[in-house]
Amino acid sequence: MSNVIKLNPEIREAIIESGGQDVIKCYQCGRCMAACPWNLLENTEYATYRFCQRIRLGAIIDSEEKEDIAADTIDVFRCVGCDSCRRECPRGVSLSDVLRAVRRILVDYDSYPSELKSVISRLYSTGNPLGESAEQRSAWADELGVPRFDGNYEYLYFACCIPSYDSRTQIVAKATAALLKKAHVSFGILGEQEFCCGEAVRRVGAEKVFQTAMKCNIDSFNKNHVKKILTTSPHCQLTFTKEYTDKDPDIASVHVTQLFSHLIIKKRLVPKYPINKKVVYHDPCTLGRQLDIYDEPRAILKSIPGLKLVEVPVFNRELSVCCGAGAMGLWRDWPQDERLAHFRAQQILKTGADVLVVACPYCLQMLEETMKSLNASIEIMDIAEILWSSVAGPEQEKIDEAA
Amino acid sequence: MAEIFALVEHRQGTIRDITFELLTCGRKLAADRNAQLTAVLLGNDAGSMVDQMKGKAHTVLVVDHEVYKDFNAETYQITLSELIGQRSPILTLIGHTACGYDLCPALATQLAVPYTTDCLEISFDGEHVSVIRQMYDGKLNAQVRLRDHPSYIISLRSGCYVPEEGSLSTQIETIDAPLSTQPEHRKFLEFIEAAAGEVDITKADVVISVGRGIKEQANLEMVKDFANAVGGVVACSRPIVDAGWLPKERQVGSSGKTVKPKLYVALGISGAFQHIVGIKGADTIIAVNKDANAPIFNEADYGIVEDLFKVVPALKNKIVELKQAKG
Amino acid sequence: MDIIVCIKRVPQTAEADVKVDNTGKDIIKDRLTFDMNESDTYALEEAILLKEKFGGTLTAVSCGPVEAEDTLRIALAKGADHAIRIKEEDFSDIDGFATAQMLSSVIKGIKHDVVLCGCLATDDYYSQVGVTIAELLGISHATLVTKIDIADAKAHAYRELEGGLLEHLEIDLPALFTIQTGINEPRYASLIAIRRAAKKEITVVGKETIVPDSIQANCMLEKLYIPPVGKRAEILSGGMDEISAKFGDVVKEKGLL
Repeated sequence: MSNVIKLNPEIREAIIESGGQDVIKCYQCGRCMAACPWNLLENTEYATYRFCQRIRLGAIIDSEEKEDIAADTIDVFRCVGCDSCRRECPRGVSLSDVLRAVRRILVDYDSYPSELKSVISRLYSTGNPLGESAEQRSAWADELGVPRFDGNYEYLYFACCIPSYDSRTQIVAKATAALLKKAHVSFGILGEQEFCCGEAVRRVGAEKVFQTAMKCNIDSFNKNHVKKILTTSPHCQLTFTKEYTDKDPDIASVHVTQLFSHLIIKKRLVPKYPINKKVVYHDPCTLGRQLDIYDEPRAILKSIPGLKLVEVPVFNRELSVCCGAGAMGLWRDWPQDERLAHFRAQQILKTGADVLVVACPYCLQMLEETMKSLNASIEIMDIAEILWSSVAGPEQEKIDEAA
Repeated sequence: MAEIFALVEHRQGTIRDITFELLTCGRKLAADRNAQLTAVLLGNDAGSMVDQMKGKAHTVLVVDHEVYKDFNAETYQITLSELIGQRSPILTLIGHTACGYDLCPALATQLAVPYTTDCLEISFDGEHVSVIRQMYDGKLNAQVRLRDHPSYIISLRSGCYVPEEGSLSTQIETIDAPLSTQPEHRKFLEFIEAAAGEVDITKADVVISVGRGIKEQANLEMVKDFANAVGGVVACSRPIVDAGWLPKERQVGSSGKTVKPKLYVALGISGAFQHIVGIKGADTIIAVNKDANAPIFNEADYGIVEDLFKVVPALKNKIVELKQAKG
Repeated sequence: MDIIVCIKRVPQTAEADVKVDNTGKDIIKDRLTFDMNESDTYALEEAILLKEKFGGTLTAVSCGPVEAEDTLRIALAKGADHAIRIKEEDFSDIDGFATAQMLSSVIKGIKHDVVLCGCLATDDYYSQVGVTIAELLGISHATLVTKIDIADAKAHAYRELEGGLLEHLEIDLPALFTIQTGINEPRYASLIAIRRAAKKEITVVGKETIVPDSIQANCMLEKLYIPPVGKRAEILSGGMDEISAKFGDVVKEKGLL
């Protein structure tokens, strides 16, 4: 391999123009490399800061060899957007934003992993990555008699695509609705007027699809006089608060953990049935590092009688390790020995906990699937599920009636 | 009297099923137009093939010469253009098969005759021809009309007309071969059988087939377990082979194998037509697909509208349980 | 070697909701992503591989609306040297046969040893344009090709027949091949190539070059509709227990236990 690198200022300019301006701040200290979860796995090495260096030289995905181009491209799409790098960076460089800028160019030229193409196509057409019909989005709520939001309700409950359609994750949406009813919170949903928040498509560089998603949702919010949004997914929460720049700034968005912990303090939700189990909480990257919400989920768990809360040693809170589902990781097909979820699952299992609690539908899907494939007997629950079981106790199965 | 041609398709000495479907379609159209149906057979030592045409057409037009032993699009084009030129049939029917792909558009373009391909249904409205075709990944049907012309060439999709026994009184007409050697520019050399591989899915009683719904290569393990439990073989639709997750010998469909097992279980297969063609002969088809509108449910005997990742382990456990009970 | 590849920009309908618009003759395209037709991506890759092996020029041609230029730029980024768009908007009531006439009239004016097309377009399913072009150009052709070996102005082409059988042919060049999916692994584009492609000029050809009256269509689309639902499967209902019990019954009945 030649030691001579051709400089391509044009490529650098194109990437900076596409949103990669952070790249200029990087001074190659390498702290991000120690933080990146890919470097915790035995079989992967992710030269994070080198991306910045190579982009500054315009020497990225610049080979003429088919295999080198493929390897480079796959590397650009490997980043899951967990933000560990930005947290470590003395200059606050968001490498995932830098890589997103590169991805935008590649997606425009149809030069990206094919697993993502069909998800993007489905999402654009039906408003959700599962390709289910828009009309079915509220089916879980209709069964429970959850009302359609109009300007007279306090919260728009935005359940996220996965809990809206996936039969296992629907329990999260149902438990949330049951808790809200129990606490006499006024809320409704918008059903087919909702579109995927678009966070994952934006992260992988499909900017046009994101703009459509944003416009659809903002139109729905405005049309229905939405003032407050309640989110189940930290990804929706992040997107509404930070990425929906066209949104009316008066529309506030709150994550369920923030609302539930508040309701518990106000005694509008009383977790009274004991759960005598050892529970470990996994901080979702987006809820923790990107939204700074660490204490509320723990407060909720600590309020449950009998529950013994444990942490993953060292790798908790800001240092929580990504489950790998971000940036459409749920649809990627990494080799068996290159899975972040396996690594995180092992860390979690070492705590000896009976139950793993998460507060993100992606973490829930990813970690539950992984635990099953490892034949682990640990139970995985979303925070809404475990809270509901303590609030409702023996009635918890009758979610339909309670709601 | 007006004549309709139907091209007999054969390979390695056997007449292919599409031929009988074409003839069934041709008989219907001939009756509608008060025309005669002529089966056109270009072959070598074609006696027994000619016999199989009896009753199915008014005439069998035979060109028998060594040069027609194996299909060669150019040979066929030269010969058929001559026959069509001489006899001016109002319609020539060809199968939309690997042969038809090569032949139909070229023949029609050479003869400056309107043509269309891959039709599900053909009908005459007076002298006008109208067809039904599929579009958009098979999600929509299209009704298409051809421009008026005294002659048409149309290719028909496999499996759209159920072959019927004909009871016409058939004449045999033999014509001298216009060609005696393969054309200059295109020479058929040989057939190559697919690599033997360890498994012949066409011989299995139970076939467990996977499609895109399986999502990841790693999930094939679960399917293999299930297949083992029920004593079946694993097969798949085209996208799985294209992705390199299973070898070509496991592919079911128009460009893969046709299987006729006692039981065919389709997991996460939408039912695109190219796949359906390969399973029409199965005794019982059970389809598992989360999408209640998947076309596979039009072909299957039983449907399970559920997540296959839930269903497969449940079915496997049931079979294991039943086998243990049996002792 | 002078190579031509024909590509088509099509809506990605396999995993999307497809609805007929209110004219009854077209689909609603609002929420559909558009991409190069799948078998064309394999044809393009095969063309690039041939160019890498034999040297020469690769020209990508597409008949389509102005958005087809995005698709042509992808071809340029992946390895085509030149790109030509035929302005579909200059012609009315065109079908595949008309498209083939337009493409062949452009290709006729370019040196060509090998012309590659996809074997099937997922929007209209005709599989006709490639072969029609070959006939109009007066060159040999082979469809559903899964392998091409070229030496001394002759090609050994392998066609995919039914049942996993392959047909091995020898064809004189110049020739046209329609390419089956899975023949190769379509490549990613380098950023350098993408930048180059973004600046390249695409030749645009319209009614000043191809006389609209000289183009004839064979087919008129009268109606698009959702296929009638045929005989449906008996849907097994209930929980996993009931469903697997019924499955067990079927297996027993067939003597497969």
